[in-house]
Amino acid sequence: MRTRYRPFQALALAALAALVAACAVFAPLYDRAMQQALTDITVERADPAVAGLQLIATRAGGGGFGFQNRERPAAPETIAEVVPAGTRAHYLAPVLGYAAEANVLPGSSRDPGGDVVWREGACEHLTLVAGVCAERAGEIMVSAADADNFDLPVGTRLAIPGIPHNGAHATVPRAHLVVAGVYDQEPSAYWLGLQLTGRSGLVDPGPPAQVQHDVWLTARSTFEGPGLPPLPAGRSTVGLPLDVDALGVDDLFALSDAIRRLAKTAGAGADGTIVTPYSGLPDLADDVREQSDQSQVTVPLLMAQLGLLALVVLWLTLLAVTEQRRPEVALARLRGRGRRGARGLLLGELLPVALAGVLPGAALALLGVWAARTMLLPGHAPFETGVRLLGALGLAVLALVLLTGLAVARVAREPVETLLRRVPPRRNSWALGTGDALVVAGCGSLVVVFATGGLEGPVALAAPGLLAVVVGLVLAHLTGPITALAGRRALARGRVRAAVSLLDAARSPATRRVVAIVTLASALAVFSADAFVVGDRNRASAAAQETGARLIADVEGGDLAAVRGALADVDPDGRRVTPVVRIRPPGTGAVETVAVVPDQFRRIALLGTAAPPASAWDRLAVSDAEPIRISGTRLRVDVDDSTLVSIRTDGERGPLSLGLDLVTPAGETLHTAVADLPDEVAHARFEVTSYCRDGCFVTAVWLQTVPGATLTGTATLSNLVGEEPVAIGPASRWTPLQDPVVGDMVPDSTTPDRLTIRVRSEGSSELTMRQAWLPSVVPALVAGALPPASQGDDFDLTGLDGTVRAAARVGTLTRVPGAGPDVAVANLDLVQRGVSLATSARVALWFAADDRDLLAEVDAALHDRGAGIATTTTLADVRRGYDESAAAWSVQLAAIVGAAAVLIALLVLLVGAASSWRFRTRDLAALRMSGVPRRTVGAMAVAAQLPAVAVGVVAGTAAGLYGAYLALPTVPLLADPPAVSTLDLDTAWSAVAVAVLAVLAVLATASVLIGRTLARRSDVRRLRETL
Amino acid sequence: MSAARTGLRVSTRRLVHIYRSEGHEVAALSGVDLDVAAGELVGLLGPSGAGKSTLLSLLAGVFRPSAGKVHVGDLELSAASARDLDRMRAQDVALMLQGAGRNLLPYYPALDNVRFAQRAARRAGKDLPEPEEVLAGLGLVADARRPLAELTPGHLQLAALAVAMGSRPGLLLADEPTSQLDHAARDQVLAAIAETSRELGTTVVIVTHDPDVAARLPRTITIRDGRVGGEGRSGEEYAVVTPDGFLPLPLHVRDRLAPGTLVRFHPTDGSGYLLVPEEESDE
Repeated sequence: MRTRYRPFQALALAALAALVAACAVFAPLYDRAMQQALTDITVERADPAVAGLQLIATRAGGGGFGFQNRERPAAPETIAEVVPAGTRAHYLAPVLGYAAEANVLPGSSRDPGGDVVWREGACEHLTLVAGVCAERAGEIMVSAADADNFDLPVGTRLAIPGIPHNGAHATVPRAHLVVAGVYDQEPSAYWLGLQLTGRSGLVDPGPPAQVQHDVWLTARSTFEGPGLPPLPAGRSTVGLPLDVDALGVDDLFALSDAIRRLAKTAGAGADGTIVTPYSGLPDLADDVREQSDQSQVTVPLLMAQLGLLALVVLWLTLLAVTEQRRPEVALARLRGRGRRGARGLLLGELLPVALAGVLPGAALALLGVWAARTMLLPGHAPFETGVRLLGALGLAVLALVLLTGLAVARVAREPVETLLRRVPPRRNSWALGTGDALVVAGCGSLVVVFATGGLEGPVALAAPGLLAVVVGLVLAHLTGPITALAGRRALARGRVRAAVSLLDAARSPATRRVVAIVTLASALAVFSADAFVVGDRNRASAAAQETGARLIADVEGGDLAAVRGALADVDPDGRRVTPVVRIRPPGTGAVETVAVVPDQFRRIALLGTAAPPASAWDRLAVSDAEPIRISGTRLRVDVDDSTLVSIRTDGERGPLSLGLDLVTPAGETLHTAVADLPDEVAHARFEVTSYCRDGCFVTAVWLQTVPGATLTGTATLSNLVGEEPVAIGPASRWTPLQDPVVGDMVPDSTTPDRLTIRVRSEGSSELTMRQAWLPSVVPALVAGALPPASQGDDFDLTGLDGTVRAAARVGTLTRVPGAGPDVAVANLDLVQRGVSLATSARVALWFAADDRDLLAEVDAALHDRGAGIATTTTLADVRRGYDESAAAWSVQLAAIVGAAAVLIALLVLLVGAASSWRFRTRDLAALRMSGVPRRTVGAMAVAAQLPAVAVGVVAGTAAGLYGAYLALPTVPLLADPPAVSTLDLDTAWSAVAVAVLAVLAVLATASVLIGRTLARRSDVRRLRETL
Repeated sequence: MSAARTGLRVSTRRLVHIYRSEGHEVAALSGVDLDVAAGELVGLLGPSGAGKSTLLSLLAGVFRPSAGKVHVGDLELSAASARDLDRMRAQDVALMLQGAGRNLLPYYPALDNVRFAQRAARRAGKDLPEPEEVLAGLGLVADARRPLAELTPGHLQLAALAVAMGSRPGLLLADEPTSQLDHAARDQVLAAIAETSRELGTTVVIVTHDPDVAARLPRTITIRDGRVGGEGRSGEEYAVVTPDGFLPLPLHVRDRLAPGTLVRFHPTDGSGYLLVPEEESDE
């Protein structure tokens, strides 16, 4: 009956209570759903071999002095029992097996070695190319590659050694095998990572070096039957595939602990069997746990703000509705029911309404979690309620009961004489009430402590909300007197309409509430929008940094010439795809070399905010020196007027060789000695064999003697001839060597056909003067620190051939996409000159777009040149990895929180209107009765609330921005901290603008509509109303 | 209506009530002596701001007096505890606020309002008639379950009276019970109050500034400037000597005697006094 009297108010109060309950219920359930989703994708995407559990049981070795343990491996069924039943329940049916070494006798270097394996049900996961499934003892199935490589057709008989007998005359028994079938392995989770093929014909470097065969599959009886001796390195295996579909997050943690316990306890059994469990599940669990911990920062951070807002709103609303019921409380007191009776009267009305919101709120939260599970979160997390739901409901009920009780008690304890007044007595308008002062002081202190870095933990998470509470309350208290002042001034100036609106706003407690709540809601909306977009931006930039470009294709092998040739065909301008060669020397702190084509790289690489100015890339430009090309199988050169001598430390003359470095088109350097010059020479012609049929670059002239000898003199080289004469001069084509430690080797000639060298060295065994086409110092743009041995900007760079090269830092980069923290970016055209790629160098193609057609085109062009693409990585894939993490899901919650904040503020306006419409329409009716025109009354009604909304939005925006500045550094935006941080917490202004506009649009529209509705209902008949 | 006669005697002695308004202390009552016998029906008259409603609130225990004593039955209100006051309001004293609506819970019909008003007294063990009976006594049977908004102003006031009388108090304090009513309704309400007083022996104190209402009351006390300014009995107006010997002049006399006028009291034939103003000489 009582709720029917004020239905809208009851509805609004129940709606607020529902929001409080929804906040309380949603946070733990969403957190839980995230953990389940995380578990799902972590386990599902893990290789079955990693997620599963594998047990390998071996017999303890011999007793020493050549004693051999000839016991066969334990039956796999008994090994499987090592796993406790509770743990076993999480796995599918075990795959039992045996394995042993099978090295074909007589054991020459051509006889292959490898493993023979029995695996239960293997034939169902193979394609038999020839023959039948091995079912009898001694029957084996070999891979198609083995059948070809080792000529093992079906029916071939082989012998492998068994475990030698013990005794004085140890003999090696033979196990005879027969090829029953030839198989192709079908990829399947059944194999739990066991790769049967891929080794056939490869040589295990040993020692002793031995050619390998693929895994041979056999029947169980080969290991157990009496017809064959026990085989060496025999072991029983049990593969337990994880029951992924049934695994929840709790199971994952429990299972990971069980596996760790198993690893400790399995060990050696009484019968000498050593069982070793293998599983990557504990690591997966650690990953999930770590991410869950992150979500336990972000989810409470957002939900705590929203919960705080909902509670504050509920509190203020309860204050409003209890104040409205002061006459009823007064009546209860006048009828002798005392304070307790008065409390009972209000609680009897308000508490059921508030509690009525709990179940709809819980349903709303469950709906939200369901939506998140189906639309946002991957995997198939079960719909869980249970203890978490009950706990959250209990918390919500407790909060509602406490708040309602406090609000009711506040009114019920007032003296009857105060209660009989229509509005409570007003304090000095500038003063802050004791309760508010306490709240402001408390919240303000927490914010200050947080801002100065002295606050951590859950309280810190509420800092933005607390800040907004402080700002909102202080502002709300200032609004009254300031608005009243403005109203009085407007009145003095004769602006009656504005004055009445302002004075009406000033005397209304609703104005103060609106300012406080709109401030808090706007702050939360702004904070949430900022957090949402900053999170998205950081995931995007981290993905871009990790990937490097929209599509990366790793090239097999190191044939850079083939790669560049293919690219020259497919994309000659390098606008769509560019080569990137990376080499990273071993050791921590080493600087990685990334060789790029600058013009192409700067267009295609996802440099983002790290992009340096174009002038920086120009500093990597290639010198325009022409190379010296020579071809043919013979090389001839004249040496004239040579005064070169080498004097050893004992004063005797030392040997002296003159040579040239010739680099093949493939980048191979041919260190070619041309002449021995032990004495001065007036003129001599030298001719040697060269391997430059396809042409070579002459990249250096070198002189070599013994260590410690001095080397001085000059000589003139001329008439360099391969198939044709080649110009070796003038001096400008060479880079002088002038090194205080190594010595000097300086070119000196002015004609193209001659090159005079002046040499001085004391102690170096080799002096090399490089051709100017080869850079002597590689210019590099550097990100991060230079290596420790660097001097100024000079440092040692790892060349693409793996050797150290002199380099100079010509500029810096904030970071290099797709690379680590310490990187030197060099010009590929420069550093590839005269070198062949080291095996550790990685050639990749960076694409400007995720263009599969172009990729296929490039792949085809590479295949034409004997190369190919090994793997590809896309930005989208990497980004998905970042997006599917607890960190991302948590931050995405901000969207819901922001929207809910606006909704709550809207509810406050509606509740305010529902609570006070009788008085306000009566006031407006009085104005109309006084002759104020209807339109003016309408405008006044609208204007009474709008300024409060505007003030709240402005203050809330400021508080939200500062709250974000304070709190965002504590939010884990990424699942794992990346090697190169791209963290950017700058305010997302566009998101903030959208949030502010949304808040303004919703609340201003609501204010206008409420004002108009009140004005419409301000009929003069209202003045006669007594009820 | 049937119940034991339960009227309470009311008296005040040198009653003073001071309140603060805009930083100043204002004496609403400055030494009121009043005696109302059990079962008596008394009207408090006086201009707005004279202190009538304040006196009524003091009698109801809503305000605490700044000085002086208030006795309602055996209870001295200035020293009564909050529990005593609650008990008194539950069983012995009913205050009807000005405006019928202020006495009623807006969401209940009259019947539930009476039931609500009776609850504290019932809980204390007081024997009370059923709400239906209370309403029947005031002719509100047909309105018992109707929403209050559908009641006429007169019936609304009767409902307020029913609520006030629901707990069968010994003292009914009614603040302007006939304001905003037309003549018929006013007469109906007055008759109901008088009937109640007569029937139940309830002491009734009514605040009014309506001379027509005052004319129907057997005894009226005029409050002026916070003091008892006069008393009317059976249509005759009397001045009342205060305990400290002051005698407020009746209004019509005060208009003729300017402040500062010297007067003499002349005994007349041993049973009365003649009040003689001195003429000012022009010497």
